[in-house]
Amino acid sequence: MTTNKRMNAGLPRRSVLTGMAAVGAAALMPRRIQAQEQITLRWWSPQSSPEQLAAYKTQIANFEALHQNVKVVFEKTSDEGYAPQLAAAFASGDVPNIVTHLPSFAVSNYWSAGLLEPFNDVIDMIGADKFYDGVNRIYEIDQGQFAGTSIGNSAANVIWLRTDLMEKAGIDKNPRTWDELLSACEKMQGGGIYGAPLPYGRNSMTSLIFIGVIHQAGGMVFSPDLDVAIDSAETRDALEFYKAMRQYCPPGATNYSWGDSLTAFVSGACATGIYTGRVLTNVNAQNPGIADHITCDVYPTKSEDIAPWTFNDFPSVFIPKAADNMDATKQFAAFLYDPEGYIQQLHAAPGHVLPVLSTIADMPEYQNNPIIEKYSAEVDIMSRAAANGFNLGWESTAHKPNTKAGEVVNSGVIAEMVQRIVLNDENVDAVLGETAKRIEEIMAG
Amino acid sequence: MTAIATDPPRASNSPLERSYARLGVLLIAPTILVFSIVIVYPLLAAIYLSVFSIYTPTLEGEFVGADNYVKLLTGKAFWNSLGVTLVWTVGTLSLQIVAGVGLALLLHQNIWFRALARSLVLFPYFLSTVVAVLVWKWLFNDLYGALNHGLMQLGIIDMPLDWLGSMPNAMIGVILVGAWKYFPFVVIAVLARLQTIPENLYEAARIDGAGPIARFWDVTLPQLRSVLTVIILLRAIWDFKEFDLLYLLTGGGPVTSTQTLSLLVYQEAFGLNRMGQAAAYSVGMMLVMLVFMILYIRQTKEKRA
Repeated sequence: MTTNKRMNAGLPRRSVLTGMAAVGAAALMPRRIQAQEQITLRWWSPQSSPEQLAAYKTQIANFEALHQNVKVVFEKTSDEGYAPQLAAAFASGDVPNIVTHLPSFAVSNYWSAGLLEPFNDVIDMIGADKFYDGVNRIYEIDQGQFAGTSIGNSAANVIWLRTDLMEKAGIDKNPRTWDELLSACEKMQGGGIYGAPLPYGRNSMTSLIFIGVIHQAGGMVFSPDLDVAIDSAETRDALEFYKAMRQYCPPGATNYSWGDSLTAFVSGACATGIYTGRVLTNVNAQNPGIADHITCDVYPTKSEDIAPWTFNDFPSVFIPKAADNMDATKQFAAFLYDPEGYIQQLHAAPGHVLPVLSTIADMPEYQNNPIIEKYSAEVDIMSRAAANGFNLGWESTAHKPNTKAGEVVNSGVIAEMVQRIVLNDENVDAVLGETAKRIEEIMAG
Repeated sequence: MTAIATDPPRASNSPLERSYARLGVLLIAPTILVFSIVIVYPLLAAIYLSVFSIYTPTLEGEFVGADNYVKLLTGKAFWNSLGVTLVWTVGTLSLQIVAGVGLALLLHQNIWFRALARSLVLFPYFLSTVVAVLVWKWLFNDLYGALNHGLMQLGIIDMPLDWLGSMPNAMIGVILVGAWKYFPFVVIAVLARLQTIPENLYEAARIDGAGPIARFWDVTLPQLRSVLTVIILLRAIWDFKEFDLLYLLTGGGPVTSTQTLSLLVYQEAFGLNRMGQAAAYSVGMMLVMLVFMILYIRQTKEKRA
């Protein structure tokens, strides 16, 4: 339901009369119905840009207008901070009612520990047939039971390119292979501009991006049966490529996480970038001078015969089992997909979070957005890439869901491996062996 | 030999004394209660948790005896982080003491705007750690940081330096920021003591021909010893368990080069969800700190004696 638009349009006489009648009827109702208990729902999300917060505000206002005894409070967490915050929340029993935008592998981890409420009711309320095919598959960890669902899709590791710099450097096509990317960075670097803002920090971004690089070399972290498969020739190639790229990255990339990497491209300090579609909004708002000179593509692979591998964290929605007011919580979870609020949320960062409901993607209200219209080709590339995307919780269609993926990422073991090889120049065989052993320990624990 | 007359021994169980004893117990009970809740219980809980393998979000697990301690003793993580913690603590504490004593001596002199300077010097200490770290991260930033920009303008460096992402810069960076943040505590304490040193000691030293340096070593420093003992003890404890500044500045990286014991405990408890192992690390951390403190206090007492 919508409220704001109607109110803005003015109140017709019929509505006023209806309202008066409703007030009169309400006055005649038994007191116990009026005196419904006031409840508060807590909503956590790591996505909290000002535009997204405005969208959440609309969604909350619309829901509260429909349910006058409900108050929804938004509380932000962060990509690096959600794991400890949720661990503490689960341990103390003081959990939020609803959590959104966490990667799917975090959800599967909590589900396997018995901490989540099955999401089937919410999916039914939204309408299972409205979702794109396969969107909910990643959340069906136990047969017939959904741990959560996606609130959107994302293509987190597409390559962003400055077409003006490419033209200046005589590069006539987007790099498809690593060799082409290295060559492009070599040509475009200079005059205060670096080639790429790849992350080398001890954080989740380095782990997640490098998992993609392993796949772009044709390798994998786990076999389809979830045996550790990181100690491979493909990982060695990936490390070699990542090391070769270091010379084209800013000095401080050794400490880069998502925000730093994004800013490095948006500010114009790097000729290429690696991020989701948030780049589009940020460039237009913060550095419009390059807004007509950016494009994106799937990230290059080792060779053309290796298919691109896009990291889609399947931004999720889930409900902790210990949450109170479960009925209202489920209603609110379903309400997040109400077109007005959902489209505003998607428009808060066009291309950053892509719709998971086919009914929404086709709506003119969604399509009518200046950023989506201007960069329709880029949004299309990201949509297709995200639709075929994977993450460590689900590395390929052949893989089983990996409920320990969140702990592998949060342990920092993969980021540490990258740092030891690239920054410390340690022996690759020894480091890979130790890394594989540590991942095996996490899987066994 | 003469005997000194003494009072006859008092009856130990007089009603008045029993009443006083009861009152004493009553008065001290709230303190004991609060002490037990905020110190004894968490300590015992940590020791209890450390003999279990516990999954953090559910706090469920199984008894594993001394396994967590065996891993602590035989694994590299604890010892590596202990080494990092010692480097960080000694480095930042030394700088805090040197800068704090130096500035306190300066602010003890009759200088212009002394009152203003004494107020301003407290600024870093009052500043929230999160804000301080954000400011320093911006200063250290490779692309837009004032520090790199200034050094490049001065021609000292050609390319921006990677301050927080490579060694030894990262450790130097956190030590510097730590010293900047906490040296005002030393200034306050030392300045207060400086103002109570009797002037006649300096006059006597001057008459004996002592110059400024000799007066510092032979008069000021011995007079500061008692307050410096307390400062070093307190600051060493606080620096040893420092978390937020290091976590926000480097996250423990590169690799584990700035991962102190506090960060290791956090990583184990919330990154890997191993609360039992984290508790074992924190108990180990407490024991190490206890040993150092006992040694330090004993040595200080011996010197005084």
